[in-house]
Formats: sequence, C-alpha cells, structure tokens
Amino acid sequence: MSKKRADRPTDPATPKVDRRNFLKGAATGAAALAVSRSAEAQSPSAYNASLSAPSYQQIQRDTGSLAPPTPDRTVVRPGSDLMVQALRDMGIEFVASNNGSSFEGIQESIANYGTPPNHMPEYITALHEESSVDMANGYGKSEGRPMAAMLHGTIGIQHASMSIYQAYCSGTPMMLIVGRDDGFIQAHTADDMAAMCRSFTKWDAQPKTLPECIDALHEAYRQAVTPPTGPTLIVVDMELQKEEARDFVVPPFRPAVIEGVDNTTARDIAQRLLNASNPRLNTGMFRTPEGVEAAVRLAELIGASASTNAMQLSMGFPQRHPLCGPGADTAYDYALGLEAGSPDLSLQRLSVKSLEAERDVMGVGFGSMRPGNGNRVRPGRQTQEQGTVLTVDAEASIPVIIAELSRLMTPAKQREIEQRKTRHASANQEAFLTNLRAAVEEKKKGWDLSPVSTARIYAELWPLIMNEDWCLASPSGFSGGHHRQLWEHNKPYSFLGDQGAAGMGYGLGACTGAALAARGRGRFVVNVQTDGDFNYAPGALWTAAHHELPMLTVMHNNRAWHQEFMFVQYLAGVRGRGTDRGHIGTVLRDPFIDYSKMADAYGVQSEGPIEDPTLLAAALERGVESVKTGKPYLIDVVTQPR
Amino acid sequence: MRKQLISTLALLLGFAATAVTAQTGPVNGNAESGAQLYFDHGCHGCHGYSGYGRKDLNNTGSPWLMNEEIFRAFLRARADVAPLLPSTDMPNYPANALSDAMVSDIYAYVRSMPANQPETQDVPTLRTILEAAEQRQYRP
Repeated sequence: MSKKRADRPTDPATPKVDRRNFLKGAATGAAALAVSRSAEAQSPSAYNASLSAPSYQQIQRDTGSLAPPTPDRTVVRPGSDLMVQALRDMGIEFVASNNGSSFEGIQESIANYGTPPNHMPEYITALHEESSVDMANGYGKSEGRPMAAMLHGTIGIQHASMSIYQAYCSGTPMMLIVGRDDGFIQAHTADDMAAMCRSFTKWDAQPKTLPECIDALHEAYRQAVTPPTGPTLIVVDMELQKEEARDFVVPPFRPAVIEGVDNTTARDIAQRLLNASNPRLNTGMFRTPEGVEAAVRLAELIGASASTNAMQLSMGFPQRHPLCGPGADTAYDYALGLEAGSPDLSLQRLSVKSLEAERDVMGVGFGSMRPGNGNRVRPGRQTQEQGTVLTVDAEASIPVIIAELSRLMTPAKQREIEQRKTRHASANQEAFLTNLRAAVEEKKKGWDLSPVSTARIYAELWPLIMNEDWCLASPSGFSGGHHRQLWEHNKPYSFLGDQGAAGMGYGLGACTGAALAARGRGRFVVNVQTDGDFNYAPGALWTAAHHELPMLTVMHNNRAWHQEFMFVQYLAGVRGRGTDRGHIGTVLRDPFIDYSKMADAYGVQSEGPIEDPTLLAAALERGVESVKTGKPYLIDVVTQPR
Repeated sequence: MRKQLISTLALLLGFAATAVTAQTGPVNGNAESGAQLYFDHGCHGCHGYSGYGRKDLNNTGSPWLMNEEIFRAFLRARADVAPLLPSTDMPNYPANALSDAMVSDIYAYVRSMPANQPETQDVPTLRTILEAAEQRQYRP
C-alpha cells in the first residue's frame, strides 16, 4: 500500500485507463484513509515509541494523495539521466522493478530520457521485488552478463533479500540499485542500506556525489562480471537522482579486465596437450557464451574429447558436439580442467565462497556453499583424483593457450588430431544413443498414467522444441530432471540450473528474466513449473503478459510441496506414529488451485488442468506455437508426485 | 525386542534368499480398500499413484513383494527402527500405525497394479526422440 501512487494515472500508451474514474477511485481511497487515520488517533498507539512511524503527511504523499514538493526551479539535466546514460553505456538491457518512491528519479529518467526513451534500459514492471531480482538472475544465467533490478529503500531490499541470496549462491552477475530517500518515510531509509544483504552480495557502495555515483555504477558492473561473479549493490540517494548535473559528462565505461594464465603457463599447457596421445578437457560452467565458444575452439584445435555439465548448468560445453562425450578411448593421458576438476591440472575461477571472510558480516556461514567452480562441485561426489588447481579464470586463459597451441602446431600433428577427432565423434555418437535408448526405456514407465508422469511432460516437449531455439530456465530437480537424459543441451543457455540456494519462489521470476533475454533473440523459454514454487510470487506471470515474453509454462502440478510431504511422512514413520497425517501442512488440496484461471487473471493464455496424458501433446503444441509468436502460455498439468 | 528383530531378520533373509524361485503368494486383502490406504498413508509420495515414481514398485520383481508375509515383515522392520536391515528412505510401519489387515489390503492393491510400459515402437513420441537423435547433426 505504501508504495503505490495514484497521482500519475495517465499514460498515452495505455488509453484503456479511464482517467476520470481512476481519479475518483483514488479520491475515495484517500478519504477512507483519512477516516481510518482519524480513528486510529483515538486509540492507544500501536507503534513502538523508539521507531519513527510515518507521519500523516508522509503516508498521504506515499499513497499519492499529496503531490511531491515542486522544485523551485526546473531541473534540465537531472543526475538520474546521467545514471541511465551510464547503464546504457554498459549495455544494460533491462531494469526490473516494483516501483518505489526512493528511486523515482531514475524511474522517470528511464521512462523519458534518451532517444528512444525506455530502451537500453527498458523498465520491466515487477509485482514483487523477489520477482525482479529473480528476473535478473534468470537473465544473468542465460546471457552471462548483468541485468539490473531496482529496489525501494529498506522494504524493497528486504523483500528481495531471498532472491539476492539465491543469485549470490549461483554466482550470477547482476546490478542492484537501491533508492534512498533520507527525510521522507524514516522507516524506508537507513544509514547503511546495503548492510542488510552485505553478507550475500559481492560489493556495494553508497556514493555521496553524482560523479561518485557514476563511478560506482561502472564499478558495480565490473565487480559483478569479474570472478568471483555475483550481485553488486549501489545505494543511490534521491538527492543525487534529482540534482542538476550542469555540465558534468558521463565518463566512458572501461570494461573489466579479467586475467587468465600467463604466457609461460599457457605454453606449458599447450605443450602437454600436444604431447598427449589422448588429451581430455573436463569442462564446467564458463562465465559467458564466449567462454563456451573458446572451449569448443580449443577442443577442436587439439582434438580432445570433452566432458560437459550443460545438463546441469548454463554456460556448458555443447552436449552434442562431436567431441563431447567419453571419446574413443577413456584412458586419457593428459586432462585439463576448465572450471572443473582434473587429475592433472585445472583452471578454476574464484567463487563467491572466497568472499566470506570479508563480506559475511552477519555470520551466516553459507554452509551449503562449496569452494571451486563457482559453487558447482558437490563434496563427496568428486570421484577422480584432483591434481593441481590454478585459481584463474578458464575463459580468459583459453585464448592464450590457443595462441600457444597454434604456434606449436605442426602439419603432422594436425593429421593425427583429425584422425582422433573422427574416432571420438563416432564413439560419442554411439555413447549418446546408448544412453538415450536406456533412458527411453526408463522414462516410458507409467506412460499412459493419469495423473500424468513427469517424464512424459519432458518427452512430449522434446520433439516440439528440438528444432527451435529454446531455453529451459526452470530448475528440474523436483520434476525428475528428465530433460537431462532426453534432450540435447547445445546452447550456453539450454538449461539454467537450479535455484542456487534451493529456495522456493525462484522459478517463475527466473524464467521471466530468461524470457526477457529470449525476447528479440528469436528464442523462447520453457518453464516446467512446480506448483509449490509458483505460489510464492505468481505475479511474474503478469510481467510476462505485459511485456509479451515468450515463456511456455507447463505446470508440474502435484498439488503439494512434495519433498516436505515425504520428509514429514518419513519422520512420522521413524517416530512410530503412523504415516497418515504427513499431508498436514504439505499438500495443496481442499481446494485444489486452478493455475489456468490464475494465468487467465494475469492475462496469460492458458489451458488445463490436464489429467489425461493423451491430451498433453496437443496442448504443448498450442503452447509452443503461442510462445513462438511472442505470447506467454500456461498449461496446467496434474502430475504424478515426481 | 532384540529377539523379535532377529527373528524378523531371519524371516526376511530366508524369504529373500528363496524369492527368486518362490511362487508369488496369494492375495488375501481388498485391493480397493488398499488403494485408499495406499493414498492415505502417503505411499504414493515415493512410489507414485500407480507404482511408478521415485522408487518403482510396479512389477519390479522385488523380493519384498513376493508374498504378504514378507511384505508385512519388511514394513515392520525398516532400517530406521531396526538397523539390521540396509537403510533406505522408507519409513517404518509398526502394527499400531498399520494393522495386519491394512497391510494385507495395501499388498492386494500393489499386486493389482497393471504394468504400464508400452513398447517403444508403439509410442510415436519415443520413436521420434530416438530417430531424431540418430539423424540430427550438431549445429552450433
């Protein structure tokens, strides 16, 4: 309530709004508020005396019933215009936000500054701050570069804190801009705003002058994309947004310089790769699509077979590349790890885990965060012996290694490599098909069941999208992860991995952000959406409808927080109290939630609930056709539990 | 208590050892009632509504399903209570939570589950997946 404003209802782009009725409604609301306030004044104060409650004037202002003070002169070149220019210079495409009065200067500049306005960056309307940051997370994972989210002072940042934490655990680069308005509603400001989430952001700043602010924005971008990659945060005072910039010019943006291995090390690696008769590349998650391309070039140049985790994370080596797989011979005599472990040598960039001593001011501890490879290696699951690890960015190192390889390459070696590549391609194709045949035998179990098996959802989707440019942006762990065995993950954004901190509420927002990245790039997003996760912030559906985002949502509607259902049931069994009450607090029934109707309400075309598996393929086909035209679509599928 | 566990273990091991060659035991319970109990006690959580799930039990040939006695002993001596058996995620089902009659009905339901695994060649979607994988060329 406190953040909604009704004093600017008219937007020429939205003529459907009846201005007269809109204002009438606002006036009625204001009168009601005044009555309510009057009644409250007669009752004992509910506020703690040590806290500064919003004044009547402040609430009137924040609810739109009082116009903001008119400046005594017209600002012709507000500081916020320069901030938007800085974002534009850095290539920030989108700023997602649930509006708040502490950043209205920047918001107004996004809407009106530049030619065309509201473009690079475009303002993306979110219905919850958690959604806006999840959007930046989904975008960052699929593009390998930051999107921005803008947050209202104290209240917005706290709404967003969970999704910031998830992005931090994932090491996703993003920029968070937090408004600060000292002297307005005291409960919405703080001396050190960033402290609330300093433990799970990489870097923050609270600049005092406009030039400092522009520098901070530049630095925030550089810090976000430099290993350890992660969310960065800038607190921007309202005064800086509104002040006259006069003749101050935004300095040119200097991109981050990310160093790889030195030439000597690169030469040694190149020599070992060349000397090996069966070299191997163990690959993990690169920073950007360019890193993936570089890894492919390296594999092709040296004729090495390569592993991939493209089925688990974004920015992975393409799964069906002819060199991807075990290769013709698994007795590798030199294995180079690129953001992955290796028995010989691995190059792994710093993870946000390395920031803990400096940034974890709240002593959170981050017990789930693992060292190495941007939080990607699970302890106890690494079966191969780990050799030397160089803490250096693999993506920045590969071009140096390639340069050395090119210099050392001989025609005879090239002929040997070409023969090896042919052998690997044949073996890898056969290995893939063998695994796929086994997977199909497994996934067809319960094929005709009602409710629908989760494997059938992924199986029916694949023929419809295999020749399209798609991105599976939803986590799949709770839905069986069947795409890992059935689909082919050949793009840096084929699959964006899990939530980061295994927190619910991430899926829909992240998929919306991935769909922002997809829009205009000729691809669409697939979101196999668990119902429990959906209900945290379903308003992201409206964002998808409003901004016409190509997002196909297929509900994995098992009508439960199913993992917890199993946990409670198990514990009841352990305690010998019977297992017939495990549903209490863990299932979503009585009544069932109608997700198709929810989608309709948010303006997203939908169908369902579908329980008959024979209806599924046609529904999915309609959904794919819809998203190919840029319209989001939701299909509610009632499923088996897992 | 320990004596009971040991005798249970002996029963289980004995049956398990002969399970491969033993005939499947008779069904004594009511499958319809068992279906409701299967749902009420959350069996579907891991095993799916029809025996296909995180842990299949539909026509798996599991020795623990060979007959009702083995099935009941298995439910009564889960690893979390009686650690003589290998540990799994399966909860324990003591008699005060699941009576012998209820076990009998659930067993009847499990045994009634029809196999639901069509031939791959009969499913166009699965055929397409396999054929496409064989024919498709990698394109960056």
